[in-house]
Amino acid sequence: MKRNKIQRVVKRKTHSVYTLFHKINLSLLVLLFIFMQTAGNDVFAQDLIQPVGTSVSGKVVDINGAALIGVTVQIKGTGKGSITDINGAFTLSVPDANTILAFSYIGFVKQEISPAGKSFLDVKMVTNSELLEEVVVVGFGSRKKETLTGAIANTTSKELDRVHAVTASAALAGKVSGLSFRQAEGRPGAGANIQIRNMGTPLFVIDGIQKDEGTFNNIAPNDIESITILKDASAAIYGVKAANGVVLVTTKTGKAGVKPVININAYTGWQSWTRWPKGSNASDWMTGKREADYNQNGTSDITTDELAKWKTGTEPGYKSFDWYDFIIKKNAPLTSLNVSTSGGSDRITYYLSATHVDQSSVLGREFVFTRNNIQSNVDVKVTDRIKVGMHLNGRVETNENPGVPGGDDYWLPRFALLRNTPMDRPYANDNPNYVNNIQGHGDTNWGLLNYEKSGYFRSNWRALQSNFNVEYTSPLKGLVFKGNYSNGFADRVLDVHEYTYDLFTYRPSTDTYERTGGSINPYREREHRKVLENVYQGQVDYKNTFGKHNIVLMLATEFSDRKSLRDWVHTSPTTNALPLLQFNDMKEYVDEEVNIASVGYIGRMNYNYADKYYVEVSGRRDGSSKYEASKRWGFFPAASAGWRISKEGFMKSVIGDGKILTDVKFRGSYGEMGDDSSIGDNDYTYVSGYTYPSSTFVNDGTVINGAVDRGIATNNLSWMVSKITNVGMDFTMFDGKLSGAVDYFYRKRTGIPSIKYDIVLPIELGYGLPRENLKSDAQFGGEFTLTYTGKAGDFNYAVGGNVSVSRYKFLSSYKPQFANSLDYYLHSTENRYGDIFWGKEVTGQFQTQDQINNSKIDMDGQGNKTLLPGDLIYKDQNGDGVITDEDNRPIGYPAGKNPITNIGFNISLAWKGFDFNADFSGGSNFCYSRNWELRVPFQNGGGLLQDISASHWKRTDPADPNSAWLSGTYPALRYNQSGLSSYNTNSTFWLTNVTYLRARTIEIGYSIPQKILDKVKMQKIRLYVNTNNLFSIDNLSTVGVDAETMDDNGLQYPQNRLVNVGVNLTF
Amino acid sequence: MKKYFLYSLFALLLWGCNDDAYINQDPTNILLEDQVWSDPTIVEKVLSDLYTRYPEYQKLSSWYEYTNFTEAFPSALGDYWRVETQSVYNYDLCANWDYDYIRKVNLFIQKAKGATMLSDASRSQFMAEARFLRCASYFEKVKAMGGVPLITEPMEYNFSGDPAYLRHPRAKESEVYDFIIAELDTIKTLLPDNPDMKSRATRGTALAMQSRVALYAASIARYNPIRTSNVKCSPDNGEVGMSGVDPIKYYEKALAAAQEIITEGKYSLYVKKMASGASENFANLFLDKTNNPEAMFVRDYSIPKSVNDWTLNNQPRTSTEESTGGRLNPSLNLAQLYEKLDGTSAPFPSVDSLGNTIYYADPLTMFAGRDGRLAGTVLLPGMKFKNKALDIFAATLMADGLHSGVFGAIQTINGVDVEVTGLDGPAGDAEFGAQTGFYIRKYLDPAVGSGTIGTQSDVWWIRYRFGEVLLNAAEAAFELGQPDVAAGYLNRLRERAGFPANSLQASDITFDRVVNERRVELAFEGHELWDLKRWRIAHLVLNGQKLTALTTTPGKANEPQGNVFGLVPYKVYKPGDVNNGKYYFKQEKPKRVNAAHNFRLGNYYSFINDEIRNHNPLIKANPNQ
Repeated sequence: MKRNKIQRVVKRKTHSVYTLFHKINLSLLVLLFIFMQTAGNDVFAQDLIQPVGTSVSGKVVDINGAALIGVTVQIKGTGKGSITDINGAFTLSVPDANTILAFSYIGFVKQEISPAGKSFLDVKMVTNSELLEEVVVVGFGSRKKETLTGAIANTTSKELDRVHAVTASAALAGKVSGLSFRQAEGRPGAGANIQIRNMGTPLFVIDGIQKDEGTFNNIAPNDIESITILKDASAAIYGVKAANGVVLVTTKTGKAGVKPVININAYTGWQSWTRWPKGSNASDWMTGKREADYNQNGTSDITTDELAKWKTGTEPGYKSFDWYDFIIKKNAPLTSLNVSTSGGSDRITYYLSATHVDQSSVLGREFVFTRNNIQSNVDVKVTDRIKVGMHLNGRVETNENPGVPGGDDYWLPRFALLRNTPMDRPYANDNPNYVNNIQGHGDTNWGLLNYEKSGYFRSNWRALQSNFNVEYTSPLKGLVFKGNYSNGFADRVLDVHEYTYDLFTYRPSTDTYERTGGSINPYREREHRKVLENVYQGQVDYKNTFGKHNIVLMLATEFSDRKSLRDWVHTSPTTNALPLLQFNDMKEYVDEEVNIASVGYIGRMNYNYADKYYVEVSGRRDGSSKYEASKRWGFFPAASAGWRISKEGFMKSVIGDGKILTDVKFRGSYGEMGDDSSIGDNDYTYVSGYTYPSSTFVNDGTVINGAVDRGIATNNLSWMVSKITNVGMDFTMFDGKLSGAVDYFYRKRTGIPSIKYDIVLPIELGYGLPRENLKSDAQFGGEFTLTYTGKAGDFNYAVGGNVSVSRYKFLSSYKPQFANSLDYYLHSTENRYGDIFWGKEVTGQFQTQDQINNSKIDMDGQGNKTLLPGDLIYKDQNGDGVITDEDNRPIGYPAGKNPITNIGFNISLAWKGFDFNADFSGGSNFCYSRNWELRVPFQNGGGLLQDISASHWKRTDPADPNSAWLSGTYPALRYNQSGLSSYNTNSTFWLTNVTYLRARTIEIGYSIPQKILDKVKMQKIRLYVNTNNLFSIDNLSTVGVDAETMDDNGLQYPQNRLVNVGVNLTF
Repeated sequence: MKKYFLYSLFALLLWGCNDDAYINQDPTNILLEDQVWSDPTIVEKVLSDLYTRYPEYQKLSSWYEYTNFTEAFPSALGDYWRVETQSVYNYDLCANWDYDYIRKVNLFIQKAKGATMLSDASRSQFMAEARFLRCASYFEKVKAMGGVPLITEPMEYNFSGDPAYLRHPRAKESEVYDFIIAELDTIKTLLPDNPDMKSRATRGTALAMQSRVALYAASIARYNPIRTSNVKCSPDNGEVGMSGVDPIKYYEKALAAAQEIITEGKYSLYVKKMASGASENFANLFLDKTNNPEAMFVRDYSIPKSVNDWTLNNQPRTSTEESTGGRLNPSLNLAQLYEKLDGTSAPFPSVDSLGNTIYYADPLTMFAGRDGRLAGTVLLPGMKFKNKALDIFAATLMADGLHSGVFGAIQTINGVDVEVTGLDGPAGDAEFGAQTGFYIRKYLDPAVGSGTIGTQSDVWWIRYRFGEVLLNAAEAAFELGQPDVAAGYLNRLRERAGFPANSLQASDITFDRVVNERRVELAFEGHELWDLKRWRIAHLVLNGQKLTALTTTPGKANEPQGNVFGLVPYKVYKPGDVNNGKYYFKQEKPKRVNAAHNFRLGNYYSFINDEIRNHNPLIKANPNQ
């Protein structure tokens, strides 16, 4: 790669010329549409027959009594008819009394009525909800559900709206089969970790535009019309980023010819932590510390007198302090208000919505998340052939909380809960004006962590996605052209100001407070980030039916580019009072710019014969700026087929009239897709040269930025390739009351970057071989879903459930080598399940010192000299008499990953005005391994867990080395002693193979009857009480952490239990 | 027909774009080869980066590495293992096989050579500096590993599938030393002869390095056959141990290089603050960055862009500017090596000749009359830092004894608040306090803000200084049988440390004396481990034996020092008693000191790991591992 500055400038120029060209290109497109519109035959008018003979008039209304405009009223069998006027009224002359009138209207169930002598008809039309549901959004189009041949799951606003989650991902738990879910983090504004079939972070596509997970999570859940999950080859239409499946989000739009409505959805709720490990009080802590001292050193500074004082706990200086009560404030409020209006005439449809969410935290009330969303989707039929639309979705997202030194502000308060001891007190002499100097860890003193004393953290995201689209329906039947331009803009301003602070010690005799610590280090930072995105899409659709042959063709192109800019400034201000950054105080300044671009050419063909046999073939040629020119283009094909066996003649005799078996479809798919995530946006692995700046060198006082050689360029690295095979079956039974699907899938991924090691280069060469696409792995499993909808009188009910299993298996690395069979056993990953937790097998606990002394196995690698009764006995797997890493065995499923098995279970009941919904979700085959604070007593010199304090091995009299040992659950206590075998190694003792089922949502609602509504001129009033995470059935309650917590120290912000009341209004 | 034409046009627009131009994106933080090598300012940036990667083991940014041996104790929970369970040192202690750096330097030299756009003068200086850095890297390797492959050109793998041609065996240990010494001979004439340049290599720096390198080679050649004769590879091709190599020529080279500096007179001992006393002057030697005549080659820092956390981590609790500090606690083992000003060695007197406890009204009295470098290196109980007197005492003794594990604990006794533990500790085994009774002073920055996370310190780290050159000269002279010359050089240092003129005579010069002088002068400057190794006394000093008490006759080079000790003050609280408020001292091992340091013969040359040897079968393993 030889380029110099001049060349680069020239290239920039061509680039901008090119962009200009592209813009012209787009405007040409629009012109072209208009041109074609005038060139085509504009025939849309209908010949309407004037009424003759007996006259019948009437009014057509919808279920809410609103007039329907433009309803077609036809005299059956004649082609003659009329349409309703602005009041929903019609007049028609009918030939005779046997005439049947047919009423039809888009989105409503067709009705046939015989006037039978009446001269005025009141016609009420009901929306065809079934018809609406049946259409599923797929990439670059939508399909009727029964025609789908891929593994595609979807869920709609009906199911999502009742969760009242702040983020979209949290709303998805248990809703969709094949979606694994773990919400480890529950802080305000936090989303869940969702993966499709445990394949990794999926691609998110919002209204046709590829976006990231953060954007997905911060759409207002109210504005989502549907979410579709492309689980198999159906994702290949998204090419190089689709290897982990695709989540498609479609926002709500207005419906043509519907009376305008205004919806108000509001709720307010109260959150509390589901679970948190409890620490012990001061008396128990001191008792434990004294034991630990004796166990470790044979002496202790803690006397029995002192212990007695702690036990009484009334004397000053001997009072226990409960940090949990001090820091955690239950029932933190969460409120949400959504106002939307939607409607449409035959020309214009619209959906306008605004949402405000306000979520506090249980960490006091100063830790807050707020978000405001707007959604504006307006579509205009300019002419009968041209439709234009502008879809805007914007948000302002704010995280605000006290700014505390040292990283994550949500971390310190939680760390404080287990780091501080119950002897530590937040205020000197309990006087809130003086923050106490607690020993060596003043930063975890919650007394400081507030706006007044510590400062603030404020992060604001402002984002706007604007989609402009135009659609031209050509005169040639079924041929439609579409153009779409999307502009994405996101902006972040981060402001942090951490003040200086003072820590005090109280002097009782003089009743004074002496400053004995604190920080004179003020910290101010500001970050600006901007993300500027452009996406240009052009698309041609052709859809037609020739007899029993149905064809759908689609061709599209997609150009997208993204620029991210970031600058960050850090100062040490001279005052806490003012927020402005001063140049003189500046400590650091960082500026970054990253540009990426990609281009895709997409084609797809669907064919079905008589709604019986389905075939779909698609391909995408995708190019990405992450790779060198010769390696950047890839082709990603996919094919799928379906057979609706229930439509076969021979099946008719088997299934009869469909009363038992209604519909059965077999389907299979295969596709290839890419994954370029192993290469960063700014890696430029194929460019050699020097990274600048790389380091800071001070040359006799002068600061110089260093530049460092990047090493050899990597020209032969490309994306990973995923090949997904899926076979499945969809079925409905009992006239559609019972429906379900079953799927099996296998994803093989090849080309995972790695380094060849059969070519052994000396380390002295100074560099290694570059990464190449070498390794492969697999993810496989299946899903099963079942839904039953039934009715008994006024009682409507539906129950549904899904189970999905997805396992990871590593397939092969590049020519693996092992020193011996043990090495192979312990370290090989070849053709093995990868989601395995390795550790020691515990066979028991030492009961006596004699048993330790006589043990033939060295547990701690130090001749068992650190062992005491109660310490763990590990199985010496290799029989060498000493416990080492070679004694590790598989002892569980993965920790820190999504569950292998996910289940969801939903019940909904309705009786007259009452409705009841319950969603359960659960997971199994994953592990939680206690460590750090949850494992080691007095970790960091901090708290002692209550359950460890309550039951551990100890001497009858700790001070008497000859007294008998009392057994307990946990090993004998020690105070931060290093090299202890029981605490420093992963074993079955600390591991839980978790299974949980939690009541994700339970909601009871009541809708006010129509009679009353009519009086107050409302269409809907519904009141509800809703709970999230009301209870969880799992096996981690003894450990004290939430079942979905991932951090092994147990200090993660757990999920909240939310109880809320809300109202839905429509008028 | 027109219609179809238009449709085709539409399709063309969709599919016919120049997509590669659209996809191409330029990096924003990568300089290309020809952008670099045509502009000396940019070349300097590449060179600067190489300077920031200068290899060294103990340094300001890793306080904890000082607590592995005898100089200090680690007062931090996460580092207690160094004294609690590290009974033997891992064989990979201080291992260095960093050929990535060698390649970067070799590439630099190769490219600078071909950079015709640069002026001859700047090209020559750039290349000489890079060769200096390559010497530093090979010196660091030979110290740790013994002989290593000498790669002096950037190698390239040709993707042929056979990398055999890239394999080079280990050079002899002496060959590596010879290479460095010869290189320094060449480049000392190419480097600027400018004593005011401290951050980049100069003629003076090259000579200083040469004297140290030659001294190392000489002492290994002399002492390995005597003290550790079985430290050699099998079969012995001279990879380690320098067997059969004559030490004399190396001692002569070390002396000659040092004397060249001394004679040229461009550097001198720092005495700017002698008026404030020898200790104050000695402490300032490491803090004063303005016209410091002693500093020869430094790692410089500059607030705010480049700072170190030495002061943040090690500041005393009494004057701490954050809720942290107090990590590095100098040991009594080191402190008692500082002689009394009459030239004798003795422990600190906590009891009198009759065995009665001595009470001190001012704890500093205990340390009076000692080598000025003691108080210049260590913060002693009662000394001031940032205008706060250190408050170091473990507990207050009443009739029934009173303890507390809390820094600065106050207890109300008969209605009076009594501080029962010093604010600086030691408080049991509580971390971040003076568990040995001492804090570090060397390099500790008295500037306001140096102890805050947001500011930290820009005190520089001196890698080569004139004081060491004198010590190198003295040691070489002693080994060459010129004790009078050695005495002369040592006396210059001792005089600066507060001793009277000519405090040493030629007859006083012994190996122990040379060793002791180096230990007290160069403590906490990164010499500790390497000196122990090259004298071949590391396995004797760190012999794995637990000690119950320190020696009462300090100053012997071979004295076993497997455990670090403290000298802990206690305070008397007996109102009305003559000793009320006074301090007495106890020699104590900090609570967590449990395992005794054990330096094995296999530690003399660090482990060459399996990966290195698997990748190059010509690499021979080091002995005794």
